[in-house]
Amino acid sequence: MLQEQLRKEVDFSQEQLRKQIQSFSELELKFQNEMDLRKKAESSAAKAEEKASLLEEKLSTLSESIDREKSRLQNELFQKRSESKLSVSRISADLERMECRAKNAEKESVLLREQLEELKMRLDKCMQEKYDMEKPNKSPEAPSKDSDLLVKHLQEELRHYESEVREARKIKASHEDIQLLKEKLYEEKSRRERAELDLLKLSDLQLTLKKFEDELSTWKSLIKEIPGVSSADDILPKFAALQKEVVDSMMRVGEAQARVKEIQVALDTAMLDKQNAETETAMAKEKAESHKAEIKRLELMLGLITEERDCLKNVVKELKERSNLEGGTEVVSGTIVQELEASLAKKENYVRELESSLLEKRETSSRQHNEIKLLNERLTNEARRIKMLERESDRLRSEISLLESKLGHGDFSSANTKVLRMVNTLAVDNEAKQTIEALQTELQKTKEKLQAVEELKKQSSDAGAPVDSYVAGKIKQLKEQIATLEKREERYKSVFAEKISVFRRACCELFGYKIVMDDHQRPDGIPVTRFTLHSIYALSDDEKLQFEYESGNTNIVVNEYTSQPEISRQIDIFIRKMSSIPAFTANLTVESFNKRTLS
Amino acid sequence: MASRTAAKDIITLRGSAAIVSEFFGYAANSILYNRGVYPEESFAKVKKYGLPMLLTQDEGVKSFISNLTSQLSEWLEAGKLQRVVLVIMSKATGEVLERWNFSIETDGEVVEKGVSREKSDKEIMREIQAIMRQIASSITYLPCLDEPCIFDVLAYTDKDCAVPFTWIESDPKLIANPQMVKLHSFDTKIHKVDTLVSYKNDEWDEP
Repeated sequence: MLQEQLRKEVDFSQEQLRKQIQSFSELELKFQNEMDLRKKAESSAAKAEEKASLLEEKLSTLSESIDREKSRLQNELFQKRSESKLSVSRISADLERMECRAKNAEKESVLLREQLEELKMRLDKCMQEKYDMEKPNKSPEAPSKDSDLLVKHLQEELRHYESEVREARKIKASHEDIQLLKEKLYEEKSRRERAELDLLKLSDLQLTLKKFEDELSTWKSLIKEIPGVSSADDILPKFAALQKEVVDSMMRVGEAQARVKEIQVALDTAMLDKQNAETETAMAKEKAESHKAEIKRLELMLGLITEERDCLKNVVKELKERSNLEGGTEVVSGTIVQELEASLAKKENYVRELESSLLEKRETSSRQHNEIKLLNERLTNEARRIKMLERESDRLRSEISLLESKLGHGDFSSANTKVLRMVNTLAVDNEAKQTIEALQTELQKTKEKLQAVEELKKQSSDAGAPVDSYVAGKIKQLKEQIATLEKREERYKSVFAEKISVFRRACCELFGYKIVMDDHQRPDGIPVTRFTLHSIYALSDDEKLQFEYESGNTNIVVNEYTSQPEISRQIDIFIRKMSSIPAFTANLTVESFNKRTLS
Repeated sequence: MASRTAAKDIITLRGSAAIVSEFFGYAANSILYNRGVYPEESFAKVKKYGLPMLLTQDEGVKSFISNLTSQLSEWLEAGKLQRVVLVIMSKATGEVLERWNFSIETDGEVVEKGVSREKSDKEIMREIQAIMRQIASSITYLPCLDEPCIFDVLAYTDKDCAVPFTWIESDPKLIANPQMVKLHSFDTKIHKVDTLVSYKNDEWDEP
């Protein structure tokens, strides 16, 4: 049972598994399908994106082309507009011309109409005449032939007139043509003049262009000549660098001078050292010589001593021999010998001591020799150094002298120095003095002459009568001349005064200021012209502006009125800042006017 | 003259300025006399610096020089004067013939801090005397001024110095390619004055 149940269960489960597997495989298929679909969708999306980008590109190109087209069209439009403007102007000119023509034609037609009317009138008259003629002709038939003749004649005349009218019309047309041609000619002429002017201008321009080109080329060559400069922009830094260099070189000069001074000091000390060394060497040499002399003395002494020793040895020998010979005197001589030997030994000791001292002396002398050599070397070194320093100081001295000569010449740096000149009128004064002196001497001479003449006149009063009369005549003539000249002067003066007063009044009316001018001198003797201005709208006499005019410069003079805060503010603005006196006076006029009218 | 404190060897800025400006006055007179810019008879002898000095009696020149020295003294006290030049020019052509150049070095510390220096009056006078002697002897080597001449005074001042009303800005009136002779210098320990005369190269004695 259990087994069956189990089998059933197993079957069931197997079946279920199968079902599951089936469903799984179905689901797998479905999944595959879904995946395919997704891939497809993705690819389509990519395609769509590509398409979109393509389209975007197209769009951008299109927009660009549209922009280009637009700009082109705008340009075209602009051109068209200008063309149209031109054509409009041309057309308007044409129109004007046509209008002129039409007017002319109208005038002509009026004239022609008048002529026509005249002719009509004449024709009427003729007809009337004809009629009148015909009327009497009706009764008497005889003069009908005459009247026919007359009619014919008149008709001929009429034809003649008609042909004349036609000719007149032709002439009129040709006249118009001529006028048109004349206008055209004028236009052409003006164009030609303009063209000629332009040509002249062109040649001028070419000349100036050439000049500029030359200048440019010179500048360029100059720039090329300046090392390290390739363009105009480099010049300023180059100048700055050069200035810096100049400053540096000045500093270096200062340093060099300091160094020269240092070197000079070193030179002085070296010279002193040299002198010291020289004295030392001289002293050392002296010492060495004295030592040498001592050595010689010692050697001499040594020689003497050795001689003495030898003598003594000989004496001893002799004594020994004698002792050998004279045995009796042995005891006495033995003591003498001993004494002598002792003294000999002493001598030998002494000799040894002397020799040792000699050796010492030699050593010291050799040492001193070495020292002298060393000092000599040092001396030569110092001498070399001194020479070097001397050379350097010479070089620096020449440099200094060059700089001093530049300075002495009067060069200066405009950065920190300015040159002032004391105003010197001595030469002018001197000249004036000289001229005054010359004039005074001349006056003196003339006075003397006059005196002489008067004296002469007194002396020969009778003989001088004709001369007198001549002189009197001359005087009279001259007086008359003077009188006329004076009259003329008076007239001129009055005319001038009138003109001046008119001018003043006009100025006053036009600019609103009464102007008073007076000349005076400053304490330093410089002449100045002072202008005092009274506004016509001034509320009081104190409201006056004063200006000093001196060699082309006009300056305002501060007075009570102008030092008022309001006025001084305006002076600051208009005169000091904007440097315009007219603006200041005009502004003041308007303000005074406003005050007047408001009050 | 120079105002001095009790001790004789102490020299102040003011005293130094007075000594230097007075020197300029005498030097100018001496140059005008020795170079014959004004006639000999318009000068009178006085004793100064242990020498017989000549001073002009012409009122115009006198007042010009006194104005000049007072202005120079003012500048010297402010330490703003760098150089004074007496220029001698041809009256006819205005050509510059001689430049008497007095370079001045001022002790900056004295101007700024108002300290004083030490130098004996006697020594300064001795130095000035040497310069005056040299000016008088300059006629031996300077070219002869054989035409009427006029003179001008230039002052090289600091850039920030205000221009007094009797002075105007000017060109330095240089001589092209001049001959130069350096004269002695004197030093008050506050102002050091170097003297130099430059003159037009006389082509006549050129080789």
